[in-house]
Amino acid sequence: MYALKRLLIWNGDVLLKRKMLRDIKKHKTQFISIFLMAFLGVFLFSGVGGGSLGLETSVNQFYEDTNMADGWIYSPYLNDMFLYQVDMLGATNQMERQVVVDSQADFENKPDVTLHFVENNTISKFYSMEGRPLDINDSNGVWLDKSFADAKGLNVGDNITFTFEDYEITKTIKGLGYSPEYVYHGSQYFVLPDFNKIGFAYLSYRAFPSDDVPYNVLNVKFDGNAETYDKLLSYRLDGYYATFIQKSDHASVNQFANQIALQKMMGDIFPLVFILVSMLILLTTMTRIISHQRTQIGILKASGFKNYSIILHYLSYGFWMVLFGSVLGLILGPMVLPGFIYAVMKHIFILPSWKAVWSMNFVYMTILMIIMSLAISFYSTKSISDESPSQSIRAKSPKVFKKGLIERLDFWHNLSFNIRWNYRDARRNKFRSLMTVIGIIGCTALLICAFGLNDSMNELTEWNFDYINHYDSEMIIDSDADSSAVDEVAKAVDGEKIMKTVIEIESSSGKKQGTLLVLDGGDMITPTDDDWNKVEIADDEVSISKKMAELLDVGIGDTVRWHMIDSNKWIEIKIDKIHADPNTQGLVMSKDKIEDLGLNYTPSSIMTDEHVDKNYSAIKSYTTKEFRIGSWQGLTQAAWVLIYVLTTFASILAVIVLYNLELLSFTEVEKDIATLKILGFKTKDLRKLLLTQNLWFTTIGFILGIPIGSYLLKTIWRSAGDSYYIIPSISITTLLLTGIITFSISILVNLMFSGKIERLDMVETFKKE
Amino acid sequence: MSPIIEFKNVVKEYKSGNHALKAMNNVSFTIDGGEFVVILGPSGAGKSTLLNLLGGLDSVTSGEIIVNNQNVENFNDNELTEYRAKNVGFIFQFYNLIPNLTALENVELMGDIVDVDIDGLDVLDSVGLKNHANKFPAQLSGGEQQRVSIARAVAKNPTMLLCDEPTGALDSKTGVLILNLLQDMSNNHNTTVVIVTHNSILAEAADKVIRIKNGQIEDIIVNVCPKKVVDLEW
Repeated sequence: MYALKRLLIWNGDVLLKRKMLRDIKKHKTQFISIFLMAFLGVFLFSGVGGGSLGLETSVNQFYEDTNMADGWIYSPYLNDMFLYQVDMLGATNQMERQVVVDSQADFENKPDVTLHFVENNTISKFYSMEGRPLDINDSNGVWLDKSFADAKGLNVGDNITFTFEDYEITKTIKGLGYSPEYVYHGSQYFVLPDFNKIGFAYLSYRAFPSDDVPYNVLNVKFDGNAETYDKLLSYRLDGYYATFIQKSDHASVNQFANQIALQKMMGDIFPLVFILVSMLILLTTMTRIISHQRTQIGILKASGFKNYSIILHYLSYGFWMVLFGSVLGLILGPMVLPGFIYAVMKHIFILPSWKAVWSMNFVYMTILMIIMSLAISFYSTKSISDESPSQSIRAKSPKVFKKGLIERLDFWHNLSFNIRWNYRDARRNKFRSLMTVIGIIGCTALLICAFGLNDSMNELTEWNFDYINHYDSEMIIDSDADSSAVDEVAKAVDGEKIMKTVIEIESSSGKKQGTLLVLDGGDMITPTDDDWNKVEIADDEVSISKKMAELLDVGIGDTVRWHMIDSNKWIEIKIDKIHADPNTQGLVMSKDKIEDLGLNYTPSSIMTDEHVDKNYSAIKSYTTKEFRIGSWQGLTQAAWVLIYVLTTFASILAVIVLYNLELLSFTEVEKDIATLKILGFKTKDLRKLLLTQNLWFTTIGFILGIPIGSYLLKTIWRSAGDSYYIIPSISITTLLLTGIITFSISILVNLMFSGKIERLDMVETFKKE
Repeated sequence: MSPIIEFKNVVKEYKSGNHALKAMNNVSFTIDGGEFVVILGPSGAGKSTLLNLLGGLDSVTSGEIIVNNQNVENFNDNELTEYRAKNVGFIFQFYNLIPNLTALENVELMGDIVDVDIDGLDVLDSVGLKNHANKFPAQLSGGEQQRVSIARAVAKNPTMLLCDEPTGALDSKTGVLILNLLQDMSNNHNTTVVIVTHNSILAEAADKVIRIKNGQIEDIIVNVCPKKVVDLEW
């Protein structure tokens, strides 16, 4: 405690304090780097951490305020008997019925609005932002999705008309707000929410146009874990409900949780790199200062300074830099970074409040860094304090090195001076060499990761839009349209009907939601394998996507059970093929096969080569390839931000690490260089001497950085969620670009130092300590 | 014998702010080929400045330095490097060997800058260090390191050896050994040796003694019968 007080107040030893300030000034580059790295480390840690923690807290608060459901039971038989049975499960402590239907709002572009006719508004409550709160007795009001209302310019008091099934209803907007079930509101057709085309609305069950309200979803709150509840439900009520979805599998909840997880991972990994680098620079700098000031320390000791004071003196160097840097990062991080992250996220996710959250963990991290810096400084000083003043006052005798194996071999003598000198220099300064290589590895890995993300996304686009899906327009069939009208449209656009529906698949190792794709001949959609070669699926075969097979841990020949999400009919099938798809996971089969299984073939879309730009009555909406690519790119915007951040930080990291190491290396060999210059070596040759070692390390670091970068890339893709299957790819361009940037930075930094050779004052250099 | 080194009215000024400090003021002298020259003077007299100018490490403010009929003061950086490589062998107080290279490699290194085939072992033999050829500088004593540095300097067969306090860091017994070696180089190999020192005893062994004080020549003495270094009373 006393030591800490001395360190902080440090009112004695004014001259030593002055010495510290002058030493820091003399080594300003290193200390600025330590400061900067400590700052960036804590800045990122507390900034990204505060951001993701804020998301978690905000969304949980939202879920709590709205009494978000723990699960949803989809069933057409939601009568009193059913409710009684659910209640009798024991674990259920609250439930409420809803009618959830897809409708079209009365606008030119026929936007899809999901209507929730709620029985009570007690579970997954509508969160009102404007107007009145939801009134269950109001049969004339509608409480509309605020994002949709904003996109359409609708206000409280306006009327809006919806059509669904055989009904057309017109209601008055009584309130605008959010719903916990629509934090993320994508769909099968639009990955990026487009609030001009998609929305939701809450109404009282009294607003339903028929007296007999056909409830189809039961929101439940229950105790205990969801798996147990699921099993209990299936044991008691199997056959009476189609699907049970637990909260963590809900599309919106899941998507948002993935986003938080991704940010948390980044918030943990990246700061670690900067903190590590700041500590390494501190270690090299302090070791160097102390070895240079050895005799000074001896003199201080000889004059009667206590070891204690001397150690404290050297501890204070790194202490102040790390303290200032990390405290500044601690203050600025949560203030600045979450704002940037939230700005991008607000395009995709809807939350009533976005607030960064502060955590004591940030303070602990800062304290840990300060302790680490003290430990490192102490480690560097220790050698001095162990010595007697008479030992320290003498210059340290140089380390004796024995020849290594390579140096004993015959060919060694035929190597040029340049190679021999550099080899030995590297061998004698293993730590410095290792750090340089690590710095280059870090730079290469981050760049490979950044450009690799770009490659994979491009490849995914190409694979998806050129190799699997060959159509231009996908026309989504109105579920009310009759089949002859659909056939007419298909004929008119020379299209191909396909059936796409959400299913649940179960194997012995688990249950997953996915997509069932039913093809009726044609070649608009051709499933492929990993190498983008077409996979032939015969009429009587079923193919499972690779990612789904991995998730369910099944292979060819295995049996899985599945059912459509709106039906309770489970079907057992054997897997005949495995195909790979970047973003649609599930089963693929033919029309014949599905009919063989005793199910109806009900086409959901018409795919066509033609570029559709007009509406047909049987068609609800259509998307073009252009639009789908645009929408996909919108969703990947966040990844782009990541790419810029990674590239920038990789470069900063490389410059700082290399600059410090070059500085270190140059001061160490400065005398040798001066000697060589005096002896008559040309500046050009000496520059080459310095560059050679640099190129060696850059090459080694670059080669080692590639697999590490590719591993990092895999980790990032893995956290992208269950629906993506991405083979991380690194293109030749990426390798070249990474190589060019890494080598350029390395050579540029080197040139900054080798430029000093020309200006090197040979006479002055020898006078240096 | 015609002089191979000639200083003509050499002035060297160091500027610090508005102030100019004259480290060398109108210095003129000549040195003949193969001469063993000792430059004497107290600290700060300008001995090292003289050596630096002669060695092409620094340039004159005015005056001429002629070495082998070439005007050194007109050389640019590249020519100076070339000049140092071909004409000058330096021997420093602290040896300045390259720590990464063995004794032999330090000597053979010279082969990289001059077009001379150097038999490193032979040269090391001439300074009595053949058996230590494969040791690194850190494994050698001070006297041995200085001998390697002499071997390195003579290996490229320079016009002159410039020695800045070559025995400053050695005990007197080892110092005599080194100076003896340098005198041998001058006598037996006809190498011009210029030694800067503040040890006036060495004056008796020199062919020529140049005393300087406050940047000016105090006197120049030519010894007709210089003593052998080993015969001096230390």
